[in-house]
Amino acid sequence: MTKKTARRNLVTGVASAPYELWAVIFILVPLAFVAYYAFTDNAFRFTTANITRFFTATSSVTGADGAADEVRTYLVITWRSVKLAVISTIVCLLLGYPLAYIISRSSPRAQKTMMTLIMIPMWMNFLIRTYAWMTILQDTGILNNLLGKLHLGRVHIIGTEAAVVIGMVYDYLPYMILPLYSIMAKMDYRLIEAARDLGCAPMGVLRRVILPLSMPGVVNGVTMVLIPSISTFYISQKLGDGMFFLLGDAIEGQYTANNLHFAAAIAFILMVALLAAMAVMRRLTNKYTYGGAAA
Amino acid sequence: MKKASKIFTALMFVFLFAPIAILLLFSFNEARSLSVFSGFSLKWYKELFRDTETLKTVRNTLVLAVCAAGVSTVMGTAAAVGIDRMRSKYLRSAMDMVTNIPMINPDIITGISMMLMFVFASRLFGFANSLSFITLLIAHITFCLPYVILQVLPKLRQMDKSLPEAAMDLGCTPWGAFWKVELPEIMPAIVTGMIMAFTLSLDDFVISYFTTGTGFQTLPIRIYNMTKKTVTPDMYALATLIFFVILALLLLSNLTDSEDSQKLRAARKAKRAASGRPPRDPRKQRILYACGGSLAVVAVAAAVIFAVTETDNKPQVLNVYNWGEYISDGSEGTLDTVKAFEVWYEEEYGRPVQVNYTTFASNEDMYAKLSFDAVSYDVVIPSDYMIARMIEEDMLLPLDFDNIPNYKYIADNFHGLYYDPEDAYSVPYAYGIVGIIYNANEVDEADAGGWDLMWNDKYAGRILQFNNSRDAFGTAMYRAGLDVNTTDRSAWDAALEDLLAQRSVVRSYVQDEVYNMMESGEAAVAAYYAGDYFTMLDAEAENVDLRFYYPEPTNFYIDAMCIPTCCQNKELAEIFINFMLSEEPAIANAEYTWYASPNTLVYENEDYIDEMGEDAMAILYPDWGDFAEKYNAYAYRNLDGELLDYINSLWETLKIN
Repeated sequence: MTKKTARRNLVTGVASAPYELWAVIFILVPLAFVAYYAFTDNAFRFTTANITRFFTATSSVTGADGAADEVRTYLVITWRSVKLAVISTIVCLLLGYPLAYIISRSSPRAQKTMMTLIMIPMWMNFLIRTYAWMTILQDTGILNNLLGKLHLGRVHIIGTEAAVVIGMVYDYLPYMILPLYSIMAKMDYRLIEAARDLGCAPMGVLRRVILPLSMPGVVNGVTMVLIPSISTFYISQKLGDGMFFLLGDAIEGQYTANNLHFAAAIAFILMVALLAAMAVMRRLTNKYTYGGAAA
Repeated sequence: MKKASKIFTALMFVFLFAPIAILLLFSFNEARSLSVFSGFSLKWYKELFRDTETLKTVRNTLVLAVCAAGVSTVMGTAAAVGIDRMRSKYLRSAMDMVTNIPMINPDIITGISMMLMFVFASRLFGFANSLSFITLLIAHITFCLPYVILQVLPKLRQMDKSLPEAAMDLGCTPWGAFWKVELPEIMPAIVTGMIMAFTLSLDDFVISYFTTGTGFQTLPIRIYNMTKKTVTPDMYALATLIFFVILALLLLSNLTDSEDSQKLRAARKAKRAASGRPPRDPRKQRILYACGGSLAVVAVAAAVIFAVTETDNKPQVLNVYNWGEYISDGSEGTLDTVKAFEVWYEEEYGRPVQVNYTTFASNEDMYAKLSFDAVSYDVVIPSDYMIARMIEEDMLLPLDFDNIPNYKYIADNFHGLYYDPEDAYSVPYAYGIVGIIYNANEVDEADAGGWDLMWNDKYAGRILQFNNSRDAFGTAMYRAGLDVNTTDRSAWDAALEDLLAQRSVVRSYVQDEVYNMMESGEAAVAAYYAGDYFTMLDAEAENVDLRFYYPEPTNFYIDAMCIPTCCQNKELAEIFINFMLSEEPAIANAEYTWYASPNTLVYENEDYIDEMGEDAMAILYPDWGDFAEKYNAYAYRNLDGELLDYINSLWETLKIN
């Protein structure tokens, strides 16, 4: 190692110091508060009851066949939240990936324009945008009026899973497109051409060249969509007719019922589970990316 | 392929802009509704420019977003560079993990945990007010940072590491290599990170609510708190204006890229070369221009709004904390009662006073902020059961009624009620009674009357139920003749059975969506407050004919003005309360909110009665016989924690069925 690289490493080692300090004070200390609340009762005595409650609380649910069934309340809620979040993330990826690719291959000016156009809707207030979606998707809403005028019949969307997914996709799509685009914009397109010249089929090019090259963008996009959509509650309340009770609703409900300790416990469990999932995902994709074409 | 991708792109932009088109359309709506378009009007734009409170929140939001985006971009980029160079794999993955935490935590948990930390820290160091603009900014920077780091880090990993090495081998200093080689390479990611940070900060409401200080409110908090009467269309007008400003900027920046300016730039470059200075790196220059340009625009916008809403620091400040949309604010030609107080006070006492008016969305939100001693408000307006709880927990100060002579106008019915039996802590502000609203074009007159309409399977899929446990259980318990404050769990179990039976006929569990859905005919039956029925009536669609009746028994509630223990100027607070009881402001507030007033100056006033009309007066002020007896029997009371927890678990059972 030259003297210069050593100095450089020293300089860049210092670069992240403010963030490290910041992270300890403003991320880890509040986290400690969450953990403290999760493991104490209302009188601040140590307890694991909140954690066990999450895994053991049951309620009686009547199935489609009319038979009552004992289910684990919070595991059911978690499963529903994860399911909706995963569906939304997949839809975001399926829509965002080609769009980011198309944008990254356009002229510089078109790139700039299209990226701005993608961000503009995000600058309108989130609550107001969700309200606007209600106006569109309602049975008496804009979409159904339009379909009615075209004699295409009516669709009942509001209150269904589809409506919640539409709302989530709408709100998180830019967080999928942005990281994908910033990676794709700097991708080495000569590699793609080379693969084509060497007789690779279009699907093969996508799978063996484009996908591995854009993998860091995919990982970040998925992270930024999946994680916030697991704990959202506003979208499911407004577009799901209040029929979907997700983790965000459960936490909100516990807080309103003056049960901050259990709310913290739910959040704590969610965090541990997600961090574990992220670590696994990163390990897998790192192997794929750096062991693949980009290395 | 080319064509398919063009169609795909076009469809995606239609999807992204569909709600924006709706905002645009309804910002020109004549009625207050966001679902029924009744005619073209520019009045919401006029309202917006008159509404200094909203403009103030816009300014706050912009200032906050610019600061948060700026700081988090610089710190986040430096952090990414540092993390990228870390040689310890474990350290690196630990940093990865820590970075993800702010994204994972649900907003409400991040908000509360940060609030707890700030309160704890300020107690440790002995600061008076633990929450302020600074704490809000810290919170925003914290949740923006991961997005910046996640943008920049992969870009650094993607970069060819031999480039900076080569630069240094060729004699570049390490700093120079970073500045000239690496920075341009990762610039697109930095810019996206900054845009993301700006966007996130612009939109956050939950974390902001818990970390902001006394009297400082952002636009999303203001909108989120409009739960009493749903979002007003002037917010749509605001969104539309923002949209066109950004669009204009986009066009402008594209124009400046055109050939003319390129010629100009070429000339400038030639001049620069002639003077012997080295040519600028065009790429870096462009990015610099872009960043500088957008920041300048935001700064100018902020400055303009600053000028409009100039806040000269007046010596006395009164912090008022109320529900959103719960006071006459001067819109549509009404009296701005807060402004009127400021004017009146200065005339009366010869000293200026500034009222900081901020809002909350629920009793629980308000309680959370006050109970942690994080803020200092002088006047709060909670509901009855919360007042009882706050008195019990010593969070309210007894009032000095010598300063509130207008208290004599409060009707006898509102004395000695359960939540404040000695009338020592509270002055009633407004009250309401839950009734049933139905669309007479759909519902047979014969079916109306009583709570059974909400369980009638003839109207399956047309019925709206409250989306909060207390009110939803209330409907079932009033219907079954159960005591809504009972500690007998079997009564709550029985109510759950009724609610489960009702679930198949319920279209939707709603809060303020009830306005949209009833006005547009999306649903036909809903239980809600009498005053809100008139708000809906104002905006109902042509084919909708809303009617109202009281089932018996039903819920009564009272919201009352109180002074919390954190009050800084009790006498001023009492003068404010007294002013709100005087004729003109009290009538203005009652007319604005459409809720019933406990003030005799209001409901005995001829003009007010004329303005409301006979029908409205009959509904808002029904003859209840002995009001106090009914109220004490049917109003919600503060339940103990264990029972609340039990009810909440029943509610969860209902919701996951």
